[in-house]
Amino acid sequence: MRLAPRPSVGSSGRQRLRRLRGVAELLRPYRGRTILALVSLVLATAASLAPPYLAKLAIDDGITPRDLHALDLIVAGFVASALLYWGATYVQTYLVGWVGQRALQDLRVRLFAHIQSQSIGFFSRRKTGVLISRMTNDIQALDQLVTDGIVTLFSSTLTLVGTVFIMLLLDVPLALIVFVVSFPLLAIGSAVFRYFATVAYRRVREKIANVTAYLQETLSGVRVVRAFGQEPRHEARFAVLNEEHRSANMTTVYLNASYFPGVELLSSIGTAVILLYGGFQAINGNITIGVLVAFVGYLQSFFDPIQQLSNLYVTYQQGMAAIDKIFDLLDTEPDMVDAPGARELGPIRGDVLFEGVWFSYDEDAAERPAEEVTWALEDVTLEAAAGETIALVGETGAGKSTVAKLVARFYDPQRGRVTVDGQDLREVTQASLRRQLGVVPQEGFLFGGTVRENIEFGRPGASEIEIFAATRAVGAHDFIKRLPEGYETEVGERGSRLSAGQRQLIALARALLADPRILVLDEATANVDVQAEGAIERGLRTLLADRTALVIAHRLSTVMNADRIAVLEHGRVVEHGTHDELIEAGGTYARLYRTWSEQAAA
Amino acid sequence: MRSFVRMLDFLRPYRGAVGASLALSCTAIAGTIAIPLLFGATVDAIQKGERSRLLPLALAIVGAGLLRLVLSVPRRVIAGRVSLGVEYDLRNRMYRHLQSLELGFFDRQQVGQLMSRVTVDLQSIRFFLGYGLVFILQNLLTIVLAAAVMFWLEPGLAAITLAPVPVVIAAAMRYGRYSRPALQEVQQRIAELTAEAEENISGIRIVKAFARENHRFDRFRRRVGTVFDQSMYATRLRAFYNPMISFLPNLGLAAVLLVGGRMVVHGSITLGEFATFNSYLLMLMFPMRMLGIALGMAQRAVASGNRVFEILDRAPRIKQPAHPRPLPAGGGRVEFDHVTLSYDGGTPALTDVTLDVAPGETVAVVGPTGSGKTTLVAAIARLYDVTAGSVSIDGRDVRELGLAELRHSVALVPEDGFLFSTTVRDNIAYARADATQAEVELAARRAQIHSFIETLPKGYETLVGERGLTLSGGQRQRIAIARALVSDPRVLILDDATASVDAATERQIKRALGEVMEGRTTFVIAHRLSTIALADRVVVMSDGRITAIGTHEELLEESPLYAEIVEKGMPRLGAALSGLGDSGIDPDERAAEAAPA
Repeated sequence: MRLAPRPSVGSSGRQRLRRLRGVAELLRPYRGRTILALVSLVLATAASLAPPYLAKLAIDDGITPRDLHALDLIVAGFVASALLYWGATYVQTYLVGWVGQRALQDLRVRLFAHIQSQSIGFFSRRKTGVLISRMTNDIQALDQLVTDGIVTLFSSTLTLVGTVFIMLLLDVPLALIVFVVSFPLLAIGSAVFRYFATVAYRRVREKIANVTAYLQETLSGVRVVRAFGQEPRHEARFAVLNEEHRSANMTTVYLNASYFPGVELLSSIGTAVILLYGGFQAINGNITIGVLVAFVGYLQSFFDPIQQLSNLYVTYQQGMAAIDKIFDLLDTEPDMVDAPGARELGPIRGDVLFEGVWFSYDEDAAERPAEEVTWALEDVTLEAAAGETIALVGETGAGKSTVAKLVARFYDPQRGRVTVDGQDLREVTQASLRRQLGVVPQEGFLFGGTVRENIEFGRPGASEIEIFAATRAVGAHDFIKRLPEGYETEVGERGSRLSAGQRQLIALARALLADPRILVLDEATANVDVQAEGAIERGLRTLLADRTALVIAHRLSTVMNADRIAVLEHGRVVEHGTHDELIEAGGTYARLYRTWSEQAAA
Repeated sequence: MRSFVRMLDFLRPYRGAVGASLALSCTAIAGTIAIPLLFGATVDAIQKGERSRLLPLALAIVGAGLLRLVLSVPRRVIAGRVSLGVEYDLRNRMYRHLQSLELGFFDRQQVGQLMSRVTVDLQSIRFFLGYGLVFILQNLLTIVLAAAVMFWLEPGLAAITLAPVPVVIAAAMRYGRYSRPALQEVQQRIAELTAEAEENISGIRIVKAFARENHRFDRFRRRVGTVFDQSMYATRLRAFYNPMISFLPNLGLAAVLLVGGRMVVHGSITLGEFATFNSYLLMLMFPMRMLGIALGMAQRAVASGNRVFEILDRAPRIKQPAHPRPLPAGGGRVEFDHVTLSYDGGTPALTDVTLDVAPGETVAVVGPTGSGKTTLVAAIARLYDVTAGSVSIDGRDVRELGLAELRHSVALVPEDGFLFSTTVRDNIAYARADATQAEVELAARRAQIHSFIETLPKGYETLVGERGLTLSGGQRQRIAIARALVSDPRVLILDDATASVDAATERQIKRALGEVMEGRTTFVIAHRLSTIALADRVVVMSDGRITAIGTHEELLEESPLYAEIVEKGMPRLGAALSGLGDSGIDPDERAAEAAPA
């Protein structure tokens, strides 16, 4: 549900300045077109104000004095002003659309780049939905302001000012009477209507969202509904929600039914007043009949902008709230930038070393006394020599994935250090580290697109031969070939068209193609079918050969094939050694192994 | 055209209101039409210096305005009520119809597409029936009446000045037809862009780990480009049609000045009549545009109507038998007799399956993905109808049973533990809304979830699901087990979750299942050895056929497929971990859990 909460109206001067600066910055590249759009807007508004005045001229200077030549000239002027209106409105509509959309495009791109430059910690602290909403709802609110709001603001203001000016020019007392009769009622009435309508429409949107959500849920859960035979209950509930929506909507019907006819009535009263007062003046010879006709014509161009401007307030508020939120986000500095003077990490052998690493996800952990901090890792010292596979074993929350994240430098430790080939990760550039590092996440996350695009993700510009070599090596080639369009098959959103096992295999091929020196692998926990299971095991073996690997292990076979095993408990490494050594030692791992063996035999 | 007529049928319950609304419209229009005439008469009176006529004429204008007000208010209220009523009826009807359709229908439909029928298409139908139809008649009537008065005043001038009217209507109609789809297309592109951004944020770890920020950025920028292109298409439409629609009526006004002005000079019409013509043309600008747009709307509504009728006309295929027979007393013997089942005549999901399960027996069903396990158990609850053969419970073919009785006797625990967005209590009492709190708690206790529920902030009244508390897979599953228990079914079907859980949860689920299985026939689609261990017999499926039946030990000997499944597919380290679960340190993991699947 969009609809911004009422933003604080009393925004500070600094905030207003930033809004202005931000908007100016967005428009700067297109200032030529912006100015042209404004010029055509002014021309179009001026042209739209001409007809009643020209009608007055036609009556007073053509018809009444029986001057047909003058009448022809005036009509020619009338047609010319109409043509000008057509042309100028065309140019204005097009240019405002163009500039507005371009500026929004730039803003979207800027936001995206900014969000992407943030550290992983940034994403953990914020909900995906909020970030998405910045990029969608808030931009949309701005879109409305830019394409509708600004044009309405300018053209309605200009029309109003122009009409008032012309009316005063034609006849001051008559103009004042029109203002007094219509302006206060119309302005107040419109503002009141707008206020209630905003509330009412918000309610309608909430109610329809309920209807839609219920529909969505019962369609997603249709299997359960059918299985329990509960259709009548859902029908009854749906009817209730549907009725709530209807009655909320009836409020808007009542509002509209009282406002719009009221405005119409006000307009006939205005006409009557002009004719009554103006009629006497005209009979007395104080004004011409042309002036009267023009006034009746201008009454409408006086009414419309007042109504439209009163509509604008909500759009304006929402747009401003959106601008603030977007700029707030743009103002957050990326928190894990490369240190000044960070070195490029040259080709590495792959010795990974944790030296007395303490790490907490609490942002302020470094400043607080150590006892008060919830540590995810406490004094972890761990070594993986080049080419070794280390299996990390432990229960959920023991710190396995934290170890993995520190190797990829998604986070920096508060104390101690993580080094690769003896170089502290904080002293090298992130890009040069990650080029030599591969990560295989648990769920085998894929991006929408084809199978090939997903594998190529590991190394852009890889040749077909290299891709095939990678998929063959992990045993994914055969199943990919069998897909409807082979390597060009679309995998669907997040790979939804493939099974969990297939996704996993593609993620393995992707990592292999990247050919990293260091590999961080979170083994999948989901069950896959028997064939995929075997393939994944073989694929893993190929992938792990000849490189340093840290594996968050879920399969015993993986653990047993590892060079060494580290058992974590509550953020500490409690055991460390080969399978045989740990069995020998008879600690946690030995107990774990026993349970597992029993289960397998059950 | 046929669906246009059928759509009009939705108005039948409201024919009185529609009639009243039309009658009110006509009279209100009379008020509108009168005002320019009164204006002209006033101008003439002024020209002749007849002071005494000014006040009555001005009062008449106010009177016409008042008449219009008095009639417009009820007209708007009535039309609004009709429109919303049609929408309400249609949406309920559509929902009831969807609820009457069998599961097979939904397997082949995308939820998104159905949603769009029920929301977007219904909207366009109700706008048309509720407002569009009245709009068309009202605006048409305004134009026709104003034209009639103009022709009555001066036919020649009327003919010239009204010439642009058909062109304006035609242009507005084209605009009405194209602009909305173009704008919807913009929304579609934006939705794609959103999906792209969402994917990037969800996959940010991969993007960063492979240092592929630039690549993703370029993709995003291309998508932003398509949003721009589509928006510009919509802008060009607007820039082309809008100014033109506003411009054309000016030609009529110019004609009034040029030709009408000459007529006044030559004395064939009065200045007042001239003023009347002028204000009629000004007055008609809006109705012309609206008539066109409403006609364009009508064209779209017919297209929407076609799509909606497509669903409403789709007859339910699994229906209550005409003369349902009661379920005989029994302990829940389930028999499959040479069952073949294929969806819509495709490759059979089950082929010649014969299976006899004794009352109270527990059967584990195992097999690779797509081997027919889920179809097999769904046939018991008659979620799908068999193509050949029969499925019976306690000797009665499931097709002879009343649907309500059948589905009360067979309860399902789905794999994903689907729960509705309501309270824990309502979820457990789902099959029996009249269940007492004691019954609900008993079910929860037996499903080993009662003590967990007690720890929730509002206990049984805690909201769960999409808009409530996020539960873990194991918790959802146990609530789903409690839900199945409340109706005390004869046959229980359990689709075990595939994701691995930690040892504590595993133990709890196992204990829950043990309780639940007592005294009823149970089918378990098993993914874990610990679940298989609960079964009396194991059925091994492959390619829609039963390839082996027997106890765990027998099958290890006899079925190579079973041996392979047990050896490779079953063991999971996670289940062996002795920890009692999450100490909840890593916010990333918490975030991943909270994120919608």
